[in-house]
Formats: sequence, C-alpha cells, structure tokens
Amino acid sequence: MLFSQLITKLIQDTTEKSLPLFGVELCLCVTIVLMLLVRLFSADRVLPACITAVVGAAAALTCSWLQYRELFAQSAPVSTELFTGLLIHDNFTVYFRAFLSLFLLLTVALTSLTGIPDEEDGPDFYSLLFGATLGMMLMASSNSLLMLFIAVEMASVPSYAMVGFLKGQKSASEGALKYVVYGAGAAGVMLYGISLVAGTLGTADMSLLSERLAAVAADGSGGLGDPELRTFALGLLMILAGLAFKLSLVPFHFWCPDAFEGASAEVAGFLSIASKAGAFALLVRLCISMAGAEGAETLLTAFGVGLGVISIITMTLGNLAAYGQDNLKRLLAYSTIAHAGYMVMAVSAMVVMLSDTAAGDVSRSVASAMEGLLYYLFVYLFMNLGAFAVIALVRNHTYGETIGDVRGLISQAPVLCVVMLVCFFSLVGLPPFGGFVGKFFIFAAVFNAGSSHSFMYVLLAFGCLNTVFSLFYYIRVLKTMFLETRDEDARPVPVQFASWESAFVLTLAGFVILLGVAPYVMSTTANSAAQALVMLQ
Amino acid sequence: MTGETLRNLLMTAWLLPLLGFAIEIFGGFWGSRKSRVAAWLAVACIATGFLCSASALVVWGNATGWRVIAHDEHHGDEHHGDEHHGDEHHGDEHHAADSDAHAAVNMKSRNDQATTIGMEPGNWVTTSVSADGNVADADHSHDAPTVYSGTLYRLATFGGLELTLDYYIDSLTLVMFTMVTFIATCIHLFAIGYMSDELTDEYVDHFAHLSDGHHVHRPGRFYRFFAFLSLFCFSMLGLVLAGNIFQVFIFWELVGICSFLLIGFYTERKSASDAANKAFIMNRVGDFGFLIGLMVLWTFFGTFKFGETTDLSGHVVEAGLFQMLPRSEGGDILLDEVSGEVLIGSMTAPNPENSSRTIPYSLLIVAGLGVFAGCIGKSAQFPLQTWLPDAMEGPTPVSALVHSATMVAAGVYLTGRFYPMFTQEVLLTIAYVGCITLFVAATIAVVATDIKKVLAYSTISQLGYMMLGLGVFGWGAGLFHLVTHAFFKSLMFLCSGSVIHGCHHEQEMPKMGGLRHKMPITAWTMLVGVVAISGLAIPGLVGLSSFFAFSGFHSKDAVVATALAFVEANPAHFLLFIVPLITAGITAFYMFRLWFYTFAGSPRDQHVYDHCHESPAIMTLPLLALSIFAAYCAWGGEQGPLYGLITGDQPAYIAHGIAGSVTLPGHDAVHEVHGTAGILAMLAAFSGTLVAWVLYGAGWINPGEIQKQLSGVHGFLINKWHFDELYDSVFMRPMHIVGKFCAWFDRTIFDGILHGAAKVTVVVSRWDRLFDETVVDGFVNVIGRATHSAGLSLKTIQTGNLRQYVMFIVAGVVALFAVVLTTFPG
Repeated sequence: MLFSQLITKLIQDTTEKSLPLFGVELCLCVTIVLMLLVRLFSADRVLPACITAVVGAAAALTCSWLQYRELFAQSAPVSTELFTGLLIHDNFTVYFRAFLSLFLLLTVALTSLTGIPDEEDGPDFYSLLFGATLGMMLMASSNSLLMLFIAVEMASVPSYAMVGFLKGQKSASEGALKYVVYGAGAAGVMLYGISLVAGTLGTADMSLLSERLAAVAADGSGGLGDPELRTFALGLLMILAGLAFKLSLVPFHFWCPDAFEGASAEVAGFLSIASKAGAFALLVRLCISMAGAEGAETLLTAFGVGLGVISIITMTLGNLAAYGQDNLKRLLAYSTIAHAGYMVMAVSAMVVMLSDTAAGDVSRSVASAMEGLLYYLFVYLFMNLGAFAVIALVRNHTYGETIGDVRGLISQAPVLCVVMLVCFFSLVGLPPFGGFVGKFFIFAAVFNAGSSHSFMYVLLAFGCLNTVFSLFYYIRVLKTMFLETRDEDARPVPVQFASWESAFVLTLAGFVILLGVAPYVMSTTANSAAQALVMLQ
Repeated sequence: MTGETLRNLLMTAWLLPLLGFAIEIFGGFWGSRKSRVAAWLAVACIATGFLCSASALVVWGNATGWRVIAHDEHHGDEHHGDEHHGDEHHGDEHHAADSDAHAAVNMKSRNDQATTIGMEPGNWVTTSVSADGNVADADHSHDAPTVYSGTLYRLATFGGLELTLDYYIDSLTLVMFTMVTFIATCIHLFAIGYMSDELTDEYVDHFAHLSDGHHVHRPGRFYRFFAFLSLFCFSMLGLVLAGNIFQVFIFWELVGICSFLLIGFYTERKSASDAANKAFIMNRVGDFGFLIGLMVLWTFFGTFKFGETTDLSGHVVEAGLFQMLPRSEGGDILLDEVSGEVLIGSMTAPNPENSSRTIPYSLLIVAGLGVFAGCIGKSAQFPLQTWLPDAMEGPTPVSALVHSATMVAAGVYLTGRFYPMFTQEVLLTIAYVGCITLFVAATIAVVATDIKKVLAYSTISQLGYMMLGLGVFGWGAGLFHLVTHAFFKSLMFLCSGSVIHGCHHEQEMPKMGGLRHKMPITAWTMLVGVVAISGLAIPGLVGLSSFFAFSGFHSKDAVVATALAFVEANPAHFLLFIVPLITAGITAFYMFRLWFYTFAGSPRDQHVYDHCHESPAIMTLPLLALSIFAAYCAWGGEQGPLYGLITGDQPAYIAHGIAGSVTLPGHDAVHEVHGTAGILAMLAAFSGTLVAWVLYGAGWINPGEIQKQLSGVHGFLINKWHFDELYDSVFMRPMHIVGKFCAWFDRTIFDGILHGAAKVTVVVSRWDRLFDETVVDGFVNVIGRATHSAGLSLKTIQTGNLRQYVMFIVAGVVALFAVVLTTFPG
C-alpha cells in the first residue's frame, strides 16, 4: 500500500466515519476554545463563561442524547472503531457519554449557583472542567492501552489544577500538590504496566487482548507458574494500580481525603463521581477485553478474586475511617472510597463469572452485574452530587464545611436538610431511595457469582456488613442536622424554599427517589448498554 | 322505548326519596329544629314519585292497550284515580299506543313463561292492529304478559357471580309503585300534623324517665323522622323495582333497618328500643332462611336475576330464574326422567352455561321455604309474628306506613313475585302458615284494648289471609288483598293516629267512647275502613251493590273463594277454608268492637273526652283521600280494573290450575264456587258485626261478664297465646344459660390461661431484658467500640506524609502481587 493511499484512507476514515461519531467530544472542545477566545477578546462581560459552559454542556448532552436515540433504537448492538481503532463507539460508550454530559451540565449549573469560580476565573475553571470531562469520555471509549493512558492523564491533569483552584488556601495547594505527585507516581506505575502487558502480548489493541492472551497461555502451563503469564499478571496489576488511583481504591486512596479536603465541594463532587465513572468504564472494558481467553481462566479468576479482596479492604477501610471525621468533605471522601468498594464488587463478580468455564452461557448474568454497576453509578451521580451541593450551599453562608456548621440546620434551611437526608439514606442503601436499588442489583449479581467462586459469598457478607457500618457516620451527620439545636453564634443559612438553590437540590433528591421507586426508568437502559457490551465481545 | 320510559320514570320515583333523605338528614341536623322544610321536602319527593309512578302506569297501559283491564271499558268510573288516568286518553292515543305496543313486543317484551315464548311475533302484530278500538279480548290478557327487565348498574363481579342492580317491571310492579307512593304521600302529609310537637328545641318525652324520675328532655327530631321516612320509601320502592333476588335482599335489609330506626324513634323509651331490637332480631331469624335460599339458588341456577338478559338485538343471552324452571302444560314442574331431579333451563330458555343441569326436587323446596322464611319474618307470620305488635311503639304514621301498608306487605309481595320458583309443597306450607297466623292474630285482637294493638293484630291476621290466598293458588286473590288492605289499613291506622293525637296520646280504648261527637271526620272515615276490612256488603242489589261493597269485601271474597275451591279439590285440607271463614266473623267482631268502643256510646273517661279534639285539616284530608280508595279501589271486584292490573302479568299456568299430589284450583274452579263462598263469608261477617253490636254497641250484654266466665280463655288471649313466654323459655332462657356458661368458661378457663400466659411472659421478658442488657447490648457495644476505635486508628494511617503515600503505591502493587501469587500458585 502506498503511503499516499494510506493517508487518503486515514483521512477518509477520520472525516467520514470517526468525526461524526465524535460529536460529543467535539462539542466540549469547541466550548473550551470558545471560552478562551471570548476572554482573549475581552468579551467576558457580554458573554460570561458560565453561559458558554451551560450552552456547551447542553449541546454535548443533546448530541449524546441523539447518539443514544440512534444506537439504542437498533435491534442488534453495533460497535464502530474510530480513529483506526484507538477508540470504540458502542452502546456502552454512548451511555457514559450521556452520563458524563448530564453530569457536566449539572456541575456547571451547581457552580454557577454557588459562584465558586468568579467571573474572572470562569473560563479557566470551565476549560479545566470540560477538559477533564473530555478525558473521562475518552476513558469510556478507549480501545487501546495507549489510549487508556492518554485518557487517564487527560482526565487527571485538569483535575489536579481544579483541586488547587482556590488559590489563596493553603489546604487547596497542599491537596493539589499531593494529588499531582501521587498521580504522577500512579501514572508511572501504570505506564510500566502497560509496557509489560503490551510487550508480553505484542499488541496494545484491547480488542486483541483475549486472543493474544489465549495464545500466550497455550504456550505455557496456563497458570501463574508460567513466567510470561506472571509478567502479564504483574503488568495487569500495575495497570490496575493506575485505575485504582482514579477509583481511590485502598491502598491507592491516600490522595483522596487530602485532595477532597483541599478542593472546593463542587470540585470534590465532580471528582468523586465523574472520574470514578470514567475509571469504571475503563476497568470494565479492560476486563471484558480479556474475557474468553482460553487457558488463562485461572489467571482471570485470580484477577477477579483480587478485585474482590481490594473491594473488601476498600469499603471496610473507607467506612471505618469515616467514623472519626469532622470535616464533611473528608467524611464524604471516605464515603466515596467505600462506595468505590461497593462498585468494584460488581466488577469482581463480573470477572469471576466470565472466567468460569464450568458455567454455560453467562452473558446474561454478566450483563446483569454490569447493569448493577451502571445503575449504581447513575444513582450515585444524584445522591453524591446532592450531598456535595448541600455542603457547597452551606459553605457559601457559613464559610465552613464541618459537622458543626450544619448543626441544627433544620431550623434554618429545612430544604437542604431534607435533601441531605434523602441523599444520605440513599447512600446507606435504604429503600425507597435509589441507592437501595443499585445496591440490591450489585449484591444480587455477587450472589449469582457465588456459584462460580465461593469467595463471592464472603464478599457479599462484607458488603452487607459494611452497609451496617456506614449507617453510623451518615446518621451521625443527620442527627446533628435534625435533632440538635443550632449554635447561637452560628452564621445563618437563609436558603428559601422558592429559590434556584432549593430547586436544584430538590431536583437531585427527586431523581434519587424516582430511581428508588421506579427502577425500570433507568435499569432497562443500563441493561441494554451492558448487554450490548457483553454480546459484542 | 316504552321500557326505557318506564325505567326512567320508576327510577326517578325510586331515587328521589334517597336524595330527599340525604338533604333532610344533613340539612336538618345543621338547620333549625323548628323548621318544617324537611317535611315538605319529603312530601315533595314522594309526591313526585307518585306522579312518576302513575305516569308509568299510564305509559304501560297505553303500550299494552289497556288489555288487562278491558272489562272495565264499559263501566267508566271517576273514583278510580290513578288507574283511570289512561282511560281519558285512551281513544286519541290509541294508534300511538298500538304502534308502541308492536315495538315493545317485537323488540323487548318477552313472556316470562317458557310455554308462551314460542309465539310468533307476526301473530302479535295482526292481533293488535285488528283489535283497534276493541283492543283486548279477555283471552289475550293471559297470553302476553308484558315484562320489562334489564340492568341498571353493576355492583361487582366475583368470578361467575355478577351482582347487579336490575329492574323488573310488570303490572304488579307498577301497581305496587303507585300504591306505595300514594299511601306514603298521604301518610307523609298526615305526619306533618302528627309529629308537629317535635318542632321544638326542647321536647319533653313523658313516656321516658330518667333514673331520678324526671322526664327526658331532648331536642325535637322532626327532620329526622322525615329523613327516615324518605329512606324507608327509597328502600321499599327499591325492593319493588328489584330485578334480582339478591337486590331484593339488599333492600329487604334496608327496609329492615328503616323499620328499626322508626320503631326506635323514641329511643329514650326502653319499650321502644326493646321493640326495635325485637323487630330487628326476629327479622334476622327469617333472613337466615332467606340467605340459605339464596345460596341454594346461586349454587344450582347460577344467577339471581328474575328476568332474562337480552342483548341489543333482543336475543336472549341468559335466562332468568323464572325461565329456568320449565313447567308442563298443566303448570307442573318438569322432572328429568332419568335422575328424577328438576331440569334447569330449557331449549327456549337456556341456563347460563347452556348445560343440562338439574336440581334435586328437595333442594328446590328448601330454596322456596328459605325465601319464604324471609317473608315470614318480614310479614310477621306465625311463628315470627310477635315483633309486629311491639313495633307499635313507633309513631303512629310509622305504624300506618311501615307496619301495616307497605313493609310488612313486602313479604307477601316477594311471595307473589317469587311464585314461579315455589313447588306445591312450599305453597301448601305457605297456606298453612297463613291460616294459623290469621286465626291466632284475630283471636288476640278480640281481647286487646290498646287501639293500635288491635290494628296491629288485625294486620297480622290480614297478612295471614294474603299468604293463605297465595298458598291456595290464589295468586291474584292474595295480591289483590294486599293492595286493598294497604289502603284500608293505612286509613285505619291514620284514624287511630288521629284519635291518639286528639286524645293527647291516650291509646287505651276503655278510656274512650263517644268520640264521634268530638271527631266526626275521623269517626266516619274509620267506619269506612272498618266496613271494608270486615268485608261487609249489601247483597242482591244489582247495579247499586257496587256502592255498598267496599274493597275489603271483594278481596277477602276472592281469598275465601279460592280457599273453598282448593278445599273442594283437596278435602283433606278442609281447615284451610273453615278457619278463614270463621276468622272473617271474628275480624268483623273485633273491628266493630274497636269502633263501638272508641266512637260510639257515651264517654267512659270524662277527662279524656273533654280534652280531645278533631285533628287539623292536614291530618283529616289524607283520611278522606284514603277512605275513598279504601272504599272503592277494588271496584268491580275480580272483573274490576285493579284486579285486572294486578293479574295482568301473573304466571300463565296459574289460570289453569295444577293437578298433582295437591290439586291446585284454576280460575274456572274458583269462579264456580265464588257465589257460595261470598255468601258464606258475608254471613260470617254479619254475624260478627251483630255480636259486636250486641256486646259493645247496644250494650245488651256486659262483655265483662263473658270475660269473667271465660277467664281462662281470656287470659290465654290477653297473653297472646303465650308466644312471648314460649319463646322466652324455649330460646331466651337456654340462650341465657349457655351465655352464662360461656361467660363463666371465658372468665375462669380462658382468662386463667391468658393470665397465666401473661405472667409467664412477664417472667420470661424480665430474664430476656437482663440477657439483652448484659449479653446482647454488651456484645453490640463491644463491636461498636471496636469498630469505632478501629476507625479512629485508621485515621492515623493517613499521615499526610506525601513520601509515604507514594511509597504505598509501590508497596501496594507488590503486596497485591504477592497475595495473588501465593493464593494462586502454578
């Protein structure tokens, strides 16, 4: 093939196939450029950055909605490789694009309500926010180990800056610095892991992973005694370390409480949800791409069980460490860690079921495990953002984010208290809130996986136990809010019922309840996205 | 068309009182206690209902061409009120009526008898057209009963059981509607006067005493009385309109509760509330049988409906109860030759599943007796008759409306309505029950001294006559007597009410006398009623005799004649004729005794006499109106319009009679003996009247002397044949003994067990608490403390030292790798 032909083909592939399906990401890119241009020409006063951001996010949401409509209407799942196979476009990608666009829109709305980036800093902040989101979308659609790394970094680098965005605060700078250094370390480890995996298997294309893995396994014993496979396992573990950093899984979570404490509540909320969603999409893609590798089932089972162990450690540590926290953001940081643990349960169950050779067709149960994860993420968006939004709104009035600042808040801002109650009960997993349904799906999937590997029952038991543990610190906050009296000298929190702030948080709480009482609203979509991914593999 | 018009008119008449009730009970409660608005509203409702009913009768008559009362065409008479409205329009509306009739026949109207269903519609058209101007020759009156039935509202569906509100409109329904609404209107008007002392904020009840001996003071309940009356009218009309037996049961219970409310209207009087309870409970005894009957019917027939269900095009979808019991030409119930059981459904009237089902003959009897048991309770027949005299504790208009004219007649009405389902054995039972009742009640009435009690016993006795008439196959005779009795008995009750009102609530006849001077209208209208019930007439005066034969004469004549025909066919049952004949004499005796006691002679209690006065016009006008009907509603006797109307839709086999184990007479047989029976009955009545005149009118013989000589009999009768004592010792005392035993058992055994269990529980729970507080709580606290301290110690891992953090990345990867390697070696 001539070079010119190659170029022609590449251009054709890019312009005719890839770019149209890359519309959501392009929307974000255009918005970033637009915001920077606006400031360059000093048109901020006419067109504040938050307006541009809202429009851009809405455009991205619309675009992803159109993609969703188009793709989910088809009878059989379709997947398209973009940019010569670096990215992949399928139902799963579109689900996450829509999810992230929606979340982006909500975050922009929240920040414009709380006014955390002032008009001066608006373009900077929103550019970072959009850039991070862009990276997360790439994470959800990456089809190559190289792309995996680029996407993770694309999401991480703007996040570092956002954590340190409150320039005058020492804790912000400290958190940002820790985050950067820790992220750099994790990135290094991950890059090393990628090189090991790519070296062992001879490819970085994720769609070829399972094939190559089977070939490698066929050469050796198929177990970890085989040096090649052991190298592969080490590489995989190192990639996992990189992802675990993004997911703040124990023992790669250390950055999380410090960064969250330093960052503003809005940024913390963004990080806790969006980066987690992207990382989970990536983790699921990685796991699915290795599935079905003949001869390597033992290795994959070990991987699945390993994820389960990490999950147990993560949620237990997250929940227990949250006990003693007085700073609400820090408390929620540990809560975030614990919830990452719950969600990893689903991935663990999925991997264990996929590598079970004895079982027949597991696609349905694997899909239901993934459905549980997707549903949980969707609920988590609303309940966690709701909690962070309440913290942000309280902070705007009291300039503090500790439990003491919300003591007796019911007397001044009942709406915030009720929303907090809904979100926290949902985080605990009490019916009739969405968190219950999500947790139920995941636990059911883990229970199903129990027939593939009995360790899953242990995992399930720890999951249930941790739900009980988590009750304590959530209820403690609620008790302080509802049952104690507000301090005399505490600053008032005058949030009216008829205000945009109340409308915003009430909408979030409404979604939490809706997802709890009518799970089918979302579970069918989550299920079809999951099914598509499983069937395409 | 006609069917819909009838349905709408009757529904209006039926539902208006309900609306009235709703407004009266709420409006009255919030309104002034001195307002008569509630009364006038009730009157308006029921009067409109009467107009609707009368119009419905006219519509129906026009649609059928007045064929059923064709005999009356040549004897036009202006006293007949409602029945005659049609006559005036007859000529000019004839063509319209005829075409209506065709439509009705072709579209909707169907025989309720299997035997005539095969008739071709074509015949009908020609008959009606050719009969222009001379519509109905007598033959047709039995051939084409015109029944309209359908569903008003579906209440619920339970599997195959569909509970609906249906309507079933035939001539009997219409006559009952018109009669009930008319009498109710009169009584409502009367009650406005009678109940006027309730128009106060503080009513003193002189018959109710508090424990400290004072009279009860309470707010007046004028509005409530009329609200209850309206509710009662609604229930009664619903019962009459009902198109299925279950609906009948619903309204049956509704009139029951109305009766309870009205008897216990003076609820502070112990006697009144006791009487209300008694009436209610004794009716429940009958209703128990009713329910058994319903269960049998549902189990075997699968439907409660009387009439058949048709679809829009007029095809029969589902047969009603009346169609599903095929009868032979002679009217005998057909038995399946193989099983010897009764077939359900026939070719022309399939049962709901169209299957060849059967019901054992014995169970058909059970069903009939069950339903009749309900009728016994409601119509106060032997052996459940004792509640009715006690029910006189209610205000007199209630006694007139509920406990003489309408509700108690509902039992008779249902017996008539449900006639096609009764076997001969059931009919014989009905006849004997009626026979016993009429005699027992009449004898008690002879010695009663309370003016209302006499009338109450006479009511029971007359209801017995009706039942007897129905039982001996006098379908028309029984229901004929029902209607005439309703008129004259309501009249007499209102007269007694007028007397009681005039004499300031004095009810004892021995304290009255000579009242005709003080209250002439009451006295003479009462005399009309007395003559009517006694069945007096002047024989032999051809042409003029009609004016001297009041309604009771005709109807009682019909009953006695049927009884005679029955006894001629079945000599073994001779008592069924002898007893009512003798009782006819007794009836005349006690009724004239009442009249002489009250109105004739000289005052026995000067105080009462001095203070008594004639009632106001609002009370006397209804008396006059009713007295006209009491006298002449049965004009023409069995050839008259009323009888024709009632029997217009009688089951077809009745005319021919049935020859079976008990031979039941047909119309011809009755007709043959009519003269004999009439003369005998009149002789009895005249002798009774004569004796009454001798004893109480002329005073030639002192009744006290006879009383002394026959003190045993007198005491027996005064104690009402000891029925109350009998029931007391047979049912009440054993029940009390059982109850006491149960109470004892409950208190000692059950409570003992319970208390023991409670004590054990307390002891156990003490231990449990101890266990809970030390072991369980201790455990939980330890766990809690452990997790909490673990959580706090976990904080220490988070040192904030960046170098250490980064170290942990490497350490974590290595540690995990080590774990995986050791867990999954090889």
